[in-house]
Amino acid sequence: MSPEPVDLSKHPPLIEVDKLHLYYGASHALKDISLTMRKNQVTAFIGPSGCGKSTLLRCLNRMNDLIDSVRIEGSIRLDKDEITGRSTDVISLRRRVGMVFQQSNPFPKSIYENIVYGLRIAGINDKATLDETVERSLKGAAIWNEVKDRLHDSALGLSGGQAQRICIARAIATNPEVILMDEPCSALDPLSTLKIEELIDELKEQYTIVIVTHNMQQAARVSDSTAFFYLGELIEMGDTKKIFTNPEKQQTEDYITGRFG
Amino acid sequence: MASSIVDKSRRNDRLAAWLIKAGGLFVIVAVIGILLLIANVALPLFYSPSAEKLADVPAELQSLVASDASGTHQTRELGEKGNISVRLLPDNRIDVQRKMIEKDLLGNEKVSQQSYQLSDSLPGAISAVWLGRKGQNLYAATANGWLVRWDLADEGQGRLVETVEAFKDHRKITALTTLLGDTSLAVGDAKGQITTWMPVRKPGSGEDKQLTLIHHLPGFMQPVQRLVASPRDKSLAAFDAAGTIKLLHMTSERLLLELKAGSGVAAAAFADNGRKLVVAGSDGKVSVWKLSIPHPEVSFSTLFGKVWYEGYDKPEYVWQSSAATDDFEAKISLMPLIFGTFKATLFAMLFAVPLALLGALYTSQFMSSTLKGRIKPAVEIMAAVPSVVIGFLAGLWLAPLMDKNLLMLFLAVVIVPAMLLIAVFSWKAVADTAVGRRLKGYEFICMMPVVLLGLWLSGLIAPPLEATLFGADLKQWLYSSLGVRYDQRNSIIIAIALGFAVIPIIFTIAEDALSNVPRNLAAASLALGASRWQTAWRVILPSALPGVFSAIMIGFGRAVGETMIVLMATGNTPIMSWSLFNGLRSLSANIAVEIPEAPLFGTLYRTLFLSAVLLFVLTFIINTAAELLRQRFRKKYGRY
Repeated sequence: MSPEPVDLSKHPPLIEVDKLHLYYGASHALKDISLTMRKNQVTAFIGPSGCGKSTLLRCLNRMNDLIDSVRIEGSIRLDKDEITGRSTDVISLRRRVGMVFQQSNPFPKSIYENIVYGLRIAGINDKATLDETVERSLKGAAIWNEVKDRLHDSALGLSGGQAQRICIARAIATNPEVILMDEPCSALDPLSTLKIEELIDELKEQYTIVIVTHNMQQAARVSDSTAFFYLGELIEMGDTKKIFTNPEKQQTEDYITGRFG
Repeated sequence: MASSIVDKSRRNDRLAAWLIKAGGLFVIVAVIGILLLIANVALPLFYSPSAEKLADVPAELQSLVASDASGTHQTRELGEKGNISVRLLPDNRIDVQRKMIEKDLLGNEKVSQQSYQLSDSLPGAISAVWLGRKGQNLYAATANGWLVRWDLADEGQGRLVETVEAFKDHRKITALTTLLGDTSLAVGDAKGQITTWMPVRKPGSGEDKQLTLIHHLPGFMQPVQRLVASPRDKSLAAFDAAGTIKLLHMTSERLLLELKAGSGVAAAAFADNGRKLVVAGSDGKVSVWKLSIPHPEVSFSTLFGKVWYEGYDKPEYVWQSSAATDDFEAKISLMPLIFGTFKATLFAMLFAVPLALLGALYTSQFMSSTLKGRIKPAVEIMAAVPSVVIGFLAGLWLAPLMDKNLLMLFLAVVIVPAMLLIAVFSWKAVADTAVGRRLKGYEFICMMPVVLLGLWLSGLIAPPLEATLFGADLKQWLYSSLGVRYDQRNSIIIAIALGFAVIPIIFTIAEDALSNVPRNLAAASLALGASRWQTAWRVILPSALPGVFSAIMIGFGRAVGETMIVLMATGNTPIMSWSLFNGLRSLSANIAVEIPEAPLFGTLYRTLFLSAVLLFVLTFIINTAAELLRQRFRKKYGRY
């Protein structure tokens, strides 16, 4: 996005996926994936439906654990810590890796209680800390001005775009290192989408972001590097500008120019 | 062509809308119709009594007024045993004449005559005398407000039992009579007040009971001239000098009727078993009223208030609709039944709600889905078990079982949860091993042996413990050292049996509500680092609260109206006690127990219908309140 060349030394690799295989029962959903996501950058996963990009995203915070038949081989390291093993503390991993879902899913609680949920379950109930976190997170998610007067109203009364930003605020309230976004704008109108995209640009100052998107323009607009998946395989990964202007693989070019997908 | 399809579908829409509306309307009309039908039977309880003055007086009634026994010379026939009569002497003493007939085995009668005077010193001049109908108690009242009672049961003499200062202002007492049953004494005074008194055991009064003021009945503005008790029930007729007649009922303290005799009244009596009142005026004219007082004992205070009944030491809520004798005082307080209904419901809910809700939470959030597919229908089949079967098992199997193993039950309540806790903590060690992962979603199977072990352990410890601590009989110990009475069919039994009936209902509806909470809410919570338990407790349960609340309220409604289980497992004792070890009687069971015995359109019959109306209104209020609350929850917490 920025015209000057990116100084990669400021963006050391944070998440390293190495020879990852994932099986849903008998079906081989991810095949030998190896890629690196860098600190304070936005990495976009693109590809047609069913290509495994969301599945890979869910590996990064172990949300696949919820599905009984999943089996994983290979390794994922977050800042040198192995996160695929059985000995990994899933709960502390999820505190380091926040997530925003395709459908905005605020809890049926007040806006305030939505934001502080992550703190409360960690046993933090100090009023000053909670208040400070709510303000910081809502400001961080660029929604403070819209909701500051109705923090104790139900979060269910918000519009789709607002609700999604509340979910982002909720994710950053616990100060994660990484934020995973699973098609965060697919259910939103263009204006709300624009706001979220601007937000992503601001958030990457502090957080490392991995975003799955169906929308090629969105990937081009918000990400620093892009990975293209097809049928469970990583076809190509590289600098976003390069992927979108001069992809190495024919499949990638076909996809981004809209010839299939 | 296209427009005809549109027309047709519109027509079908309209038809469907009408059908649905008609169906809904029919249900509402049917429910209201039932309510009206029941209420229509109960309503005559509150109709005003009436009286009709007969145009001509039958000759046999003319002579009846002569039997008016309120003078100062009274005689009581004691059947084959002879008679007894009292007469007030001018010197303020009372002369007692007693004729005794004794039959020996051969049928020879031996008549003996006794005569004596009661010459106890009295606080004032005697102004009224009443000899009880059984010839045993003699009451006298003085011109300065004292009541005197003698016991004439012993031969040859009368014993002065007590002298009571009835009125502090020393007003003159002008009329006395005992009411049906000879227990209560009605007292009329110069101020026009009518009160009833009966002997009550008082602390420190020793053997004898003390005459105590029980009821204030509506009186006159001028002195009471005469009191005549009804031979039918606890009613009496009161007369003043101006010829006003008031028909009163003692228990309900109601003024039933007010009649006007043309002049002062010289004599009066009830005839036709209390259905007619015969009054001779001071002018010698006799008038007769045909009385129609179907439900004199019913009033708001007898139905819902504390009443001081004959033979009781204090005012109480009592339901006792019938007794061995005809002269008993009907006790129709609905409070013990309302209390029983709520006690049974409360205990059943205390037992059922935690089990059903936690079960639903576990099934919807933690159990493996294949197992859930089997457990849920199984629990739903539980709901189809006829309540008579549950009641039968509870009353005839569980109650005696618990009676024998009471201490074991108490121990199990402590030991089983403690062992479960230990098991849960030790589970942590196993959870992450291969065995633990294989059992994921089936963990509760490991709980079963723990529960059984806990029960076995309780059974093992109980007998020696009972022998050493409680003298080998816990129930006896409870009674002798804590004063707690243990009924075999008690509230623990009813909590379990009724709880068993409502658990499937609460479980199924709550489980549906919990399962309907979208997965992505759980995902959001888990992604924030919440454990599964935190997610279930802090996100799933609050989101499903409206549905869970409905589940509890539907269970509650079932428990309130449940009849068969309560009937068979409670012992049907209409007592008001919160004790876990006592039985109870609920409104619904009471109807089932008593309606076959209630005389058609009698007071009891209509009172039972009134309690049905009450039950109806009660459930209506509860359901409406529940629905309103649920809609508020829905607004506040969400849609599931």
